[in-house]
Amino acid sequence: MLHPVGTGHYLVLSLALLLVGILGVLTRRNLVIVLMSVELILNAVNINLIAFSKHTGNLAGQVFAIFVITLAVAEAAVGLGLLIALFRNRETTSADEVNLLRW
Amino acid sequence: MPDGYLPIFVFLPVAILFPVVTLFVAKLVRPSQPTPSKLGAYECGIEPASNSRGRYTVRYYIVAILFVVFDVETVFLYPWAVRYKQLGWFGVAEVAVFLAILIVGYVWAYKKGAFEWV
Amino acid sequence: MIDTALFYVFALMTLGGGILCITRRNAVHAAIWLIASLMGVAGLFLLQRAEFLFAVQIVLYIGGIMVLFLFVIMLINLDTAAAERQYSGQWKLALGAVVLAGGEIAWVMARGLPGLGAAAAVQDGGEGGSDGNVERLADLLFSEYLLPFEIVSILLLAAIVGSVFLARRRTS
Repeated sequence: MLHPVGTGHYLVLSLALLLVGILGVLTRRNLVIVLMSVELILNAVNINLIAFSKHTGNLAGQVFAIFVITLAVAEAAVGLGLLIALFRNRETTSADEVNLLRW
Repeated sequence: MPDGYLPIFVFLPVAILFPVVTLFVAKLVRPSQPTPSKLGAYECGIEPASNSRGRYTVRYYIVAILFVVFDVETVFLYPWAVRYKQLGWFGVAEVAVFLAILIVGYVWAYKKGAFEWV
Repeated sequence: MIDTALFYVFALMTLGGGILCITRRNAVHAAIWLIASLMGVAGLFLLQRAEFLFAVQIVLYIGGIMVLFLFVIMLINLDTAAAERQYSGQWKLALGAVVLAGGEIAWVMARGLPGLGAAAAVQDGGEGGSDGNVERLADLLFSEYLLPFEIVSILLLAAIVGSVFLARRRTS
């Protein structure tokens, strides 16, 4: 049952975490939790990058993982800022009620 | 694989279990006679004025944002500090450019009054 | 052997935390489970000998981003949102996509991964000599990835300007 853990295990885990994140983004109405699901997706990306960095013995994957984390910070900061502006104007954080530009 | 980390991974469950077991055993052993005066604020403490889940002002968020952004900056400075001697003046120049661009943001936020507790 | 067991512990933490995060009604609980998930990811980084990223994950993700999330949850009181309907009408599409990708996982696992199974091909410890993970990372960051490093500062500048502008109270 317990095979030695290889790169494939990490890739499957990364894919599964990506699916959980996508499910969260698509189904939740609460925008705060949608943003948290985006963090899950970015973490899945990081697991993938680290697994391949280890597999090929090249540290470039780790450098890119740091860039991805930086990106996550910028995304969270601006996304949550948008959420605050939205809440200030509309008194809601529900994705279904933000439909002013919908056609 | 994590050769040097084996003691840490052994220590981790011990560290997690110790408070859990201690609190559980204490709950079994101690006498339990709750009275209203025991649940009140102790000595010079005051009664809470409102629910702790109440709304905060947005100023806390702006401070938190600036903290996190400059936290990221530190993460990039750390590898530079580790390789400071080998990188020499070239590294100093690189980091100076990096910092100069971020200081623009800092000055902008300062001018906008983001640091003032209005 | 021990790292196989640790992998499954951290994988369970990561996936379990993620699933609980997207299903909780209360946003604060979701944030706490997301922290558990991020800690599992940090453990996986450590198992892969990415020590610097392990530290960054704890300091930046759990210490920085999650604090930001919790501040926003406190800022916009979500008691009303917790009482509302939680899932949007897109769950059919989402379920379809996830079933498709889940089938892909099952197919790949049944087939086995040629060349990616077993232990990692390259042993990490031998190449760097006495240098640690952070030193080798620094060498790469300040030589080959110099331009991305400088561009990151522009990304952070945009993040400062954007978030301060959006969150600031319009006083005029």
